[in-house]
Amino acid sequence: MPQTLKTATKRKSRGESMLLRYLVLGSWAACCLLPILWFLTIAFRPRTEIITPSPIYWPSFSLDAWHLLMSDWPIAQYMRNSFFAVSGSVIIDLALAIPAAYALSRYEFKGREDIGFYILSTRMMAPAIVAVPIFFLFRSMGLLDTVWALMLVYAAINLSLVTWIIRSYMLDIPKELEDAARTDGAGDLRILWEIIVPACLPGIITAAVIATIFAINEFLFTLLIASTSKAYTMSVALANFTGGSDGVIYNAIALVSFLAFAPILILVILIQKHLSRGLTMGAVKG
Amino acid sequence: MASIHLQNIVKRYGAFTGVRHMSLDINDEEFLVLLGPSGCGKTTTMRMIAGLEHPTEGEVIIGTEVMNEVDARDRDVAMVFQGYALYPNMSIYENIRFPLRMRGVPASEHDKLIRRAADMVELGSYLDRKPGALSGGQRQRAALARAVVREPQVFLMDEPLSNLDAKLRASMRVQIKHLQRQLKITTVYVTHDQIEAMTLADRIVIMNQGAIQQVGTPDQIYSDPANTFVAGFIGSPPMNLIEGTAQNGKFTASGITAPCPAHLRGKVTLGIRPEDCRVGGDNVQGLVYGVEPTGDVTYLTVMAGSKQVEVKAARDYRSDIDVAIGIGFDPARLYFFGEDGERIRGAA
Repeated sequence: MPQTLKTATKRKSRGESMLLRYLVLGSWAACCLLPILWFLTIAFRPRTEIITPSPIYWPSFSLDAWHLLMSDWPIAQYMRNSFFAVSGSVIIDLALAIPAAYALSRYEFKGREDIGFYILSTRMMAPAIVAVPIFFLFRSMGLLDTVWALMLVYAAINLSLVTWIIRSYMLDIPKELEDAARTDGAGDLRILWEIIVPACLPGIITAAVIATIFAINEFLFTLLIASTSKAYTMSVALANFTGGSDGVIYNAIALVSFLAFAPILILVILIQKHLSRGLTMGAVKG
Repeated sequence: MASIHLQNIVKRYGAFTGVRHMSLDINDEEFLVLLGPSGCGKTTTMRMIAGLEHPTEGEVIIGTEVMNEVDARDRDVAMVFQGYALYPNMSIYENIRFPLRMRGVPASEHDKLIRRAADMVELGSYLDRKPGALSGGQRQRAALARAVVREPQVFLMDEPLSNLDAKLRASMRVQIKHLQRQLKITTVYVTHDQIEAMTLADRIVIMNQGAIQQVGTPDQIYSDPANTFVAGFIGSPPMNLIEGTAQNGKFTASGITAPCPAHLRGKVTLGIRPEDCRVGGDNVQGLVYGVEPTGDVTYLTVMAGSKQVEVKAARDYRSDIDVAIGIGFDPARLYFFGEDGERIRGAA
């Protein structure tokens, strides 16, 4: 009888702890998600219902902001610019970072650790310090106001971080795998592409997602290089909505914010499994 | 198939010397085991044969060709690793196929060769699985299949069984030996487990601190050890090594006496295996320190002065501790070693 009682108590306390867990996690999720929900409701309500003396809990649905964006602003072009500049920069980063990370993680050469740190240290610099030289550099190359320039700048900004992340993954791959491939008859490039890259795919995906987020959010260099709307990206377009003769257009800001944010959200949801594995891998061995 | 010759191999890592002036001839089709404690240089030696490390001095010859400058991928050796080293992103089928693809074996032959190799290690029904979905024993068999699939000149096995449990290790041991006899491929096997070495090897090379201590068949290593290191390393429990003094044909240590050759003088070490000791006798006068029945045999530890003597007693032997006991030695099985640890020949 006491045994049954004990089991019942245990079951009850387990049920309570589960309830508490859901409550805490649910509250945390609400904290994170409510702002998104909030600006979504702003994006799809009429301008007249945005600034009111008392809150409106059930706003009416309106596509005002959408029509404004489509008629007055080349939003599709901004999105296209963002897409090409960001995806191009991530491709450049991966193409350069994967071989660099492999060399830094596997080859023994003098100053290897120093080079590794030197690469990472470029991240520690305040971007404003190099803004002016970069402006002159691109002007002399005739690349100002082009998506190509943005692509190169984003790639340069993120390259060190992407290399560093991928390198830390490669360090975790057992050397035995490579030795096995070598005795099986594979050369360096084969080993890299057939063994190492698939084995550290979660790390590569993590690095790519982080680079994408940083590139989409990049503002300073984009503003500097994209002097006309020809090369504007979503981050600069967003800033342009905050002022003007029409005043602050909150519902359009909310909609553009959402459009800038949605691709990252979708990307993260799609690769969530890899990403969570990726962010924790390397921290714990085994 | 090929013989392997190591000629005066030295491997240094900065100030540390991993392998010291090692010369060894491995015969064609031989199963040779490199045995020694951790850090003795056995794995380094194997990696030099594989081409994964390069000797600082000396030559590695496979067949008749000097291999020092030949890359690992061109050496036609296959290696099995302690951690299996299966490619995690590939199925077992693709893992076994990898060396065939790398070495340009015509694609039309792949399927036949892969299935034959998988059947040899009884893994035929697991070919579609990824390594992560297999047990430890199955993974090691998959690694074996990947090594045998292209029938290399040389097999190298680096402690392939040490991650497996004892029962599985025993069955894999037989499988490896069977496979090697079947394929007749020269095999070098690294282990620190003397049972593996004794059961698998045609010849054993015992290494310590980067140098060869003795090369011989398992029988020779067991019954004719070259020095105290080999004597103490082989056998379970290992040989009793008792330091004492020899004079006038008699060896003495505290509580221990034994006959010895008349020419021995001064400090020597007496070696006697636990299985060559018997309860009852006057070579050791001491107290029972511990009794460990294992089922088929009972291990008895006797304390004589400050020295412990291990005895393999009959399975039903039982005693309390601190009981006075006499132990006898088989006089034909006594070994004597000099102060430098080297065996004094002709002494037994």
